[in-house]
Amino acid sequence: MKRTLAIARKEVFHILRDPRSLMVSVLMPLMMLLLFGYAIDMELRDLPIAILDQDRTPLSREFISHMTSSEFFIKNADLASRDQIEAGFRRSEYRAAIIIPKGFDEKVTRGEESPVQVLVDGADATTAQTVDNYISQVVILLNNRLVENREFQATLLDPRIRFFFNPQLRSADFVVPGLVAVIMMMICALLTSIAVAREKETGTLEQILTTPVLARNVMIGKVMPYMLISAFDAALVLIVGYFVFKVPMAGSWLVLAGYSTMYLLIALSFGLLISSVSKTQQVAMMMALLATLLPTLLLSGFIFSVDSMPLWLQVVCHANPAFYYLKILRGIMLSGHAWYPLEGGIMLGMAIFLMTLAVARFRDRLE
Amino acid sequence: MQIIRYLVIKEFRQIFRDHMMARIIILIPFVQLLILGYAVNTDLKNVKTAIVDQDHTPQSRQLIKSMYASDLFLPAKSDVTPDNLEDRLGSDQVDLILWIPRGYAEAQSRHQSAQVGVFLDGRNSSIAGRAGGYTLGILRQENQRLLENSTLNASAFSLPIGRITATTRFFYNPDLTSRDYMIPGIVALIVTIITAFLTGMAVVKEKEVGTLEQLMVTPITPLQLIAGKTIPFLILGMIELTFATLFAVLYFKLPFTGSILLLFLGALLYIMVTLSVGVFASAVSRTQQQAMFTVWFFLVYGILTSGFFYPLENMPAFVQYLTYINPLRYFLPILRGLFLKGVGFFDIWDEYAALLTLGILFFSAAVIRFKKTVE
Amino acid sequence: MSKPESNNHIAVKAEKLTRRFGDFTAVNSIDLQVQKGEIFGFLGANGAGKTTAIRMLCGLLRPSEGEAWIEGLPVSKSAEKIKRRIGYMSQKFSLYNDLKVWENLEFYGGIYGLSKSEIESASDIMLARLQLAEYRNTMTVELPLGFKQRLALGCAIPHNPGIILLDEPTSGVDPIARRKFWDLIYELAESGTTIFVTTHYMDEAEYCSRVSIMVHGKIVALDTPRELKKQQKVTTMQDVFLKLVES
Repeated sequence: MKRTLAIARKEVFHILRDPRSLMVSVLMPLMMLLLFGYAIDMELRDLPIAILDQDRTPLSREFISHMTSSEFFIKNADLASRDQIEAGFRRSEYRAAIIIPKGFDEKVTRGEESPVQVLVDGADATTAQTVDNYISQVVILLNNRLVENREFQATLLDPRIRFFFNPQLRSADFVVPGLVAVIMMMICALLTSIAVAREKETGTLEQILTTPVLARNVMIGKVMPYMLISAFDAALVLIVGYFVFKVPMAGSWLVLAGYSTMYLLIALSFGLLISSVSKTQQVAMMMALLATLLPTLLLSGFIFSVDSMPLWLQVVCHANPAFYYLKILRGIMLSGHAWYPLEGGIMLGMAIFLMTLAVARFRDRLE
Repeated sequence: MQIIRYLVIKEFRQIFRDHMMARIIILIPFVQLLILGYAVNTDLKNVKTAIVDQDHTPQSRQLIKSMYASDLFLPAKSDVTPDNLEDRLGSDQVDLILWIPRGYAEAQSRHQSAQVGVFLDGRNSSIAGRAGGYTLGILRQENQRLLENSTLNASAFSLPIGRITATTRFFYNPDLTSRDYMIPGIVALIVTIITAFLTGMAVVKEKEVGTLEQLMVTPITPLQLIAGKTIPFLILGMIELTFATLFAVLYFKLPFTGSILLLFLGALLYIMVTLSVGVFASAVSRTQQQAMFTVWFFLVYGILTSGFFYPLENMPAFVQYLTYINPLRYFLPILRGLFLKGVGFFDIWDEYAALLTLGILFFSAAVIRFKKTVE
Repeated sequence: MSKPESNNHIAVKAEKLTRRFGDFTAVNSIDLQVQKGEIFGFLGANGAGKTTAIRMLCGLLRPSEGEAWIEGLPVSKSAEKIKRRIGYMSQKFSLYNDLKVWENLEFYGGIYGLSKSEIESASDIMLARLQLAEYRNTMTVELPLGFKQRLALGCAIPHNPGIILLDEPTSGVDPIARRKFWDLIYELAESGTTIFVTTHYMDEAEYCSRVSIMVHGKIVALDTPRELKKQQKVTTMQDVFLKLVES
């Protein structure tokens, strides 16, 4: 224990000697949180559209004002001819163009079908889909009004939608738990892997191993300070999320801390495992970066739905600790669920497995 | 020139001497693209859905059929009742519950509106929001169908009713595959990681080991040193870009509609910026760890403010200003435009101009700062 | 000083050379002149300011005050020209550990502007001279320290400089390796190269044509070893050093 602490103390000195790295490891999570929290709004808004109104009648103007009356669209261009449309798409000047042909009003008055053409830049498929949905919604609304004028019941189906646990679908409620998972994994794995690789590169690790400390002491001593930094970062994100972004905390902080410790252990063991296979800091960093940043961001269910992925990739996701942790985190914070025997068990298993593997590899390499 | 050549040869030898590094560099584009290409998919599928049908009529069954018409919603095994909705959503058994209350068919037959409940697990608001949107879309269509039927029934009315119909055509990506839009972004990420990180660390490594001091007593000028340190990663970046593009086109069947020349020109300008970031990071750092952190900061900022995940138009004004000095913000539209939209130079010349400006700015800053360190 | 003084004969010169780091004065107004072809020993305890002084002579560090000249060229103004006339080997043996022996030589030859054929012939000669011919394809990291040190010397002088500055070249290596290294230095000196070497091994000081002894940033003595021993009335340089440092 004494030896472990001695090594931990040395590591703390290393960290304090390098205030910039420490700053980054503290400021980075905050920056990610603020940028994500403020910049990402899942509700689409202010999308530019172009209008080509060849009819120029009261009805066509009404149609246009319906389109642009909400915050969803802003009119960016009044086109004079069809030929201009594609050039504008190529220059990304607008997302959609609406063509109201001549005779639009007249056909409606005569009781015929009156077609409107909608051209959408489909490159960004998600946004394009939403744009299309929105336009057809406006069309239906307008049609209903036309019907209503004739005293018909327009809505035969009246959907009532309700989102549980996050009724307004606030993006902060969604971002904060995800960021906690990403940040803890990254900071922990990156710092640990590079800290060990640095000593390998400079040869000081050999020096330490000639002293009567055990590989176990070295490892625990080295990772303890980084565990504290990561835990501090996670707490910081949670607290800023709670106070600044008003993310709820439906469950218990204590339960959260328990699961988080398990997750931290996984991240640390993973960092150690990386450092045991890499000789230089460069390799350690590249591996840690590739194995943590993108997977925790993209293969955890944070941003993209795991259920929508092909089966083989779903299997990969299920090997990702962030996948389970995120589920637990969202549960505890947003819905107050605390009982996750399956997820918790899997995480515990991962922690034990990785830790054993890391210690074994580490010893192999050094002794 | 010869001096630069020897610097470049040396750098390549060092990179590929480390087998691990060589493997990482070669595998990055393939593994990343393969995994992320499938992961980065905003098309929703298999949303676990439960239906509480208390009406049990042909009409309610018709609605259920419409819900399950695509693979968007997947029936989940669950015993949902109106009383345990929250619990079933909370315990992750289902993502969405559609509740058709008793009297659904009857209300319709009397030309009254029938309520339908849609309940979602909002904890993953991105998925919930979209699933909700799709559900409402399906219900709207159902409404429209019902309406038309009832208008037919009401044909006794003297005048036919005029109706607006919208026909939508999607340009560039008629099937709306979201992957096609995300993959160019991953290509950009791969290039960024290789160029910015490796340059940053490679220079600092010489500082740490002490070889930089040895180089400083030779007649090498700082500019030659920077060139020797960045050219290898420029070459690697270009090779990775080529591999990644080929992989995207051959494996993921992405179209490539623009000019190859424009692709390389854009990449050249973009890499100039990322290399400068690497050099700058190494100039202000004493250790590789610091350099890595500095580049990391840039990378995170770059991804978040580039429009990689969400459209830039969505961001609040002050964040929009932050995006203007982000090179990825310009490189991404270039890549997406060249892959999908068949853009020509005059469609996106302003992106090129912005990249060139940033390149000159970042490069000058990096050179000035670097000179200060070595002198 | 007994030798004739003419600028043409002076390889290295320093006047009032001073370097401060904050409040600490590492090098305090030193003056010295090194004649061409001399082996000049720059002695001092660890931390006496030797490395700071030698780095200023090479142009790696700007002096706070004073000036240094290499072959008559002021270091502050003609740093680039000077780099072609000197070879410098630092304490740390700045080699690329992940390159092979010949690759290190090739690289340094290349950045000194030698042509491909020049590098090839020069490397062969150099490897033979350094007695490293059989390690040509060995990875540098695997070389014993004494071999590394010889390779570092080889890498510092592919351009046949007139002046070689060595900063504690032999620290940490065994006596046989040191002997071999000094043989190399003699060889170079015989062919007319000026050697400026810092060391804290007093037996090495005996090999030098002249030595200076530095204490706390100042030069306290400068003369031939024989003269210094006579002045201090002792028989070895070791005693000269101890006497001067303790006084």
